[in-house]
Amino acid sequence: MFFELDEERRNFQKRVRAIYEKEVSPLVDEYERKETFPIQLYPVLGAKRLLCFRCPKEYDGPELDKISECISNEEIHRICAGIGVSFMVHGGLATDPILRFGSEELKQRYLKPAARGEKIGAFALTEPNAGSDATGIRTAAVKQGEGYRINGSKTFITNGGICDFVTVAAYTDPTKRGIGINLFVVNKEDPGFSVMKKLRKLGQHSADTAELAFDDCYVPQERMLGGKEGGGLEQLEETLKSGRITYGARSTGMAQATFEAILAYVQKSQRRGEPVKRSQAIRFVLAEMAMSIEAMRYMTYRGAWLFDQGIASMKDASIVKLFTTESIQRIVQKAFTIQKNLGLMMENPAQRFLRDARGLKIPEGTSEIHHMVIARDLGL
Amino acid sequence: MNFELSDEQKDIQKAAAEFAQGEFDSDLALELDQAGQFPETIWKKACGLGFIGLHYPEEFGGQGLGLLENVLVIEAFCRVDSGIGSSLSTVDLGSEVILKFGSHEQKKRLLIPLTKGEKRLSIAFAETEDGKDFTSISTFAEMREGEFIIQGKKRFVLNGPLANAFIMLCRELKEGWITLVVEREKDGLEVLPIEKMGLKMIPFADLNLNGVRVSQTNRVGSDGDGMMHVNYCHQALGVRSAAQALGVAQGAYDRAIQYAKQREQFGKKLSQFQVIQHKLADMAANIEVCRLLTYKCATEYDQGRSDLRSLSIAQLEVGRRLIGVVDEALQIFGGYGYIAEQTIEHYFRDAWAIAVELGTEEDLKDSIADRVLGSEAIRK
Repeated sequence: MFFELDEERRNFQKRVRAIYEKEVSPLVDEYERKETFPIQLYPVLGAKRLLCFRCPKEYDGPELDKISECISNEEIHRICAGIGVSFMVHGGLATDPILRFGSEELKQRYLKPAARGEKIGAFALTEPNAGSDATGIRTAAVKQGEGYRINGSKTFITNGGICDFVTVAAYTDPTKRGIGINLFVVNKEDPGFSVMKKLRKLGQHSADTAELAFDDCYVPQERMLGGKEGGGLEQLEETLKSGRITYGARSTGMAQATFEAILAYVQKSQRRGEPVKRSQAIRFVLAEMAMSIEAMRYMTYRGAWLFDQGIASMKDASIVKLFTTESIQRIVQKAFTIQKNLGLMMENPAQRFLRDARGLKIPEGTSEIHHMVIARDLGL
Repeated sequence: MNFELSDEQKDIQKAAAEFAQGEFDSDLALELDQAGQFPETIWKKACGLGFIGLHYPEEFGGQGLGLLENVLVIEAFCRVDSGIGSSLSTVDLGSEVILKFGSHEQKKRLLIPLTKGEKRLSIAFAETEDGKDFTSISTFAEMREGEFIIQGKKRFVLNGPLANAFIMLCRELKEGWITLVVEREKDGLEVLPIEKMGLKMIPFADLNLNGVRVSQTNRVGSDGDGMMHVNYCHQALGVRSAAQALGVAQGAYDRAIQYAKQREQFGKKLSQFQVIQHKLADMAANIEVCRLLTYKCATEYDQGRSDLRSLSIAQLEVGRRLIGVVDEALQIFGGYGYIAEQTIEHYFRDAWAIAVELGTEEDLKDSIADRVLGSEAIRK
């Protein structure tokens, strides 16, 4: 047992925090307000090798471990969840399957520019009628000559409107529910690919979220991951586990930002002629927040460590995601209400934290799905 | 004990529901919310049909009904749309002060235009984020040549940019706390709108008062009555906010039930999953509690036996149940719940704004504890 980050990772943490504070913090207010993503950050962070953390050096990645990926995600989400989610998806769901199952040519073609921040990736599984139940997707990839024609629509796609390529799940054999799915890499220039609309959201305003359409979109055989038909969902298993553990880092970073802000408020504010910090009720609330964040952080890093050892199970990943995304809700809610009318003001980040955190309980498995996964793993 | 509404009350409830269903177009609601615009046309129609101020005496434009009937209208309106409903429910804030303490002339002059849709009224009591903190009030009214000259500032005035007049709490050197009606167009009154997260159609404003002159005829009540007016007003507003909460919770629940019956995942309707059924059952139970407490407090107010213990308990319970219900409704909608095109997205933001209005858990518990323990036990 060893509960400290080693010196190398501590230095990494310091380095990424400084970079995010310098490069990302000044953009938050403007891009949250505009509800657009600051794409100029991609080449900036790419040049510093802060995208696609687990991507090997031979494909221009930093070749770090899951713990480092979590450190970085915690730090960027401490600054902004809307901006953070773009990089999380880019370095995770969008590129991870290519890293695992892509041919050498695909890795050269997609991973290298992705790691350098020259190309932005997205990942498209969810459809208007298939969210929690991924096996219910209807997008079909029909064999034609030396490739496939893809038809269908995808929704709630992070980076959908700004991506250069998207890793898409489609049925190559719709008669085999859940099994007959494959992953394809589609370029934004491919005829038949289009961004139907940008979706406005409750929170994470600076993230780009879109609905995508594939209309007879032709994709050559070599852009199908794995090279043989079927097994696409199984290919996603490690990627999804990894993503769910990253949610722990997202939640911890956002909770940390919320906590720092409310602690500062409570420290300095007076109410009815008394310092707010003298209220025993409020002291207890802050104590509870500190406790929750501690639990969230350790749970996340344990999950990341298990993943690095190659022994993280789906249940481990679900436990991290469920616990952290639920725990943060009370933190953001209390931080918001303690400030009363001040909390409601658009210029106060407390309301952004509340809106942003609410979005954590839905993607990459809703809280209900993770309960189901955990219960199944218990042998029930 | 009689837990049944009278036929007349049921008719009012039905008329308000029909009006709201006919007039509160959901696309318009999204548009007004996004633009932060007050529903002017609907407001005028609601006034034309006698929904605003129906609890005022007939000679002042009302129908001589009580707060309970007002509550039924607010509930019905907020059920159909949280934003439009709340906007119509808050056009006459502070009217209760005029009704109870105003002169005949003031009632005629101030209340009748509210019922006709010609004027809007708001309250300007607080000077900090805490609507009930009067320890640091620095707005002074000085009597000079038969007029009051007001100097000071007010914060977080609900509906501030839209109101034509404010019931304002001031300090007068000799008389102590006084309430004055300050008209919007007065020289020296500056209204600074504040953008907020929820109930965007009715923004906050800060008011700066720099030598604003108010005639003696705008003074409500007599010497030193100001704080009593404020407390009386908060009793009615507490009940009215609870009614908004009740309607919003009911509206979120209606939508969640409808969605659960129609949305399919894993080959089943959501309504066939036990976890979803129980969420809806919980919501139904919570709404029932909200309704009973709200109607009880309205009845007590109408019978002239308002009690702060009872009201604080209602505000505490209604506030947390409102949040619980709306949050679960959003979760049932999954990804769609997070998207701004869906009504539930602004229900979430509006619910939090109403919860802030109802008061924080800590303050409400302080208030209840004061009454259940007695101030002697509290202050030793």
